[in-house]
Amino acid sequence: MAIKLKAVKREDLRGSATKALRFEGNVPAVVYGKEKDTQTIAVNSVDLLKTVRDEGRNAIITLDVEGGKPVEVMLHDYQMDAVKNDLVHVDFYIVDMKEEMDVSVAVRLDGEPVGAKEGGILQQPLFEVVVRAKPNDIPDEIAVDVAELNIGDVITVADLPKAAAYEILEEADTTVATVLAPTEEELEPASEEDAQAEPELVGAEDEDEE
Amino acid sequence: MLMPKRVKYRRQHRGRMKGQAKGGTTVAFGEYGLQATEATWITSRQIEAARIAMTRYMKRGGKVWIKIFPDKPYTAKPLEVRMGSGKGAPEGWVAVVKPGKIMFEIAGVSEEVAREALRLASHKLPIKTKFVKREEIGGEINEG
Repeated sequence: MAIKLKAVKREDLRGSATKALRFEGNVPAVVYGKEKDTQTIAVNSVDLLKTVRDEGRNAIITLDVEGGKPVEVMLHDYQMDAVKNDLVHVDFYIVDMKEEMDVSVAVRLDGEPVGAKEGGILQQPLFEVVVRAKPNDIPDEIAVDVAELNIGDVITVADLPKAAAYEILEEADTTVATVLAPTEEELEPASEEDAQAEPELVGAEDEDEE
Repeated sequence: MLMPKRVKYRRQHRGRMKGQAKGGTTVAFGEYGLQATEATWITSRQIEAARIAMTRYMKRGGKVWIKIFPDKPYTAKPLEVRMGSGKGAPEGWVAVVKPGKIMFEIAGVSEEVAREALRLASHKLPIKTKFVKREEIGGEINEG
């Protein structure tokens, strides 16, 4: 069952009004979809965060806009304030439940690799994969077991668990996780002579030739 | 020590540091990061000292990413020289850091180790910093 979220229409689009909205604990948002008119709305910040935390990033939300029909939406994009860690703006996308769509799904690594116990470092270059599925079939996350990995072993997109309901769109040979051999990081500070060295000037050679 | 290999001009204007960082504000490569909450110049020596503090604490485990690069030259005049007679000689290199910038990232260690390593690194820097984790919306976010 889809989760409900209340929203109010946002008519005044001036910066001062948007700022006041944020001050009251709301987040300005926009709702759009295929062949649908764009609507500017505002939702309660805490309600939205709780919904996303409980139901996942790709949950289908029934957005109940004041004075309008409820619409099935997904959180499509969001902007955060990097310093305050507050939500600044949110995009909702009206989903067609019969049509496939592309979304990013988190990859979770399970277990501690054998190689990591021997001193290797587990590295995850890919944290999200793009998946094509119908809205109801989108997985919350894709879990992969890394307990068997030795130093030098690699898990690629091709090794991720497959399901009939969704298709992973990343290149099959993209690395998801690997256990690197332990490396000795240089602990000695670079010499003062290095610091005094001056970089060459771009175009200096040309001037010399002329 | 970090510095550019080639530059177009030897000296630069000092510039201003208003506003927030517009890029590099999320943990992109590792799992944990050290975020600047003030604007400052970070010198190549400070970056190097912070790197060494981190790697020394983590010993052989983990991986460190340095996400800032000192590409701005700063100049200084010699001691007891009167004002004027042109700009001073290049003294070193700095990275311009604004609030929100993730300066260092760490992966492959537990949270406690990462927290301590980044705390030690933060003592080598001239600004207040914040420990941050890779996180999606709805995590330990400010519900304020």
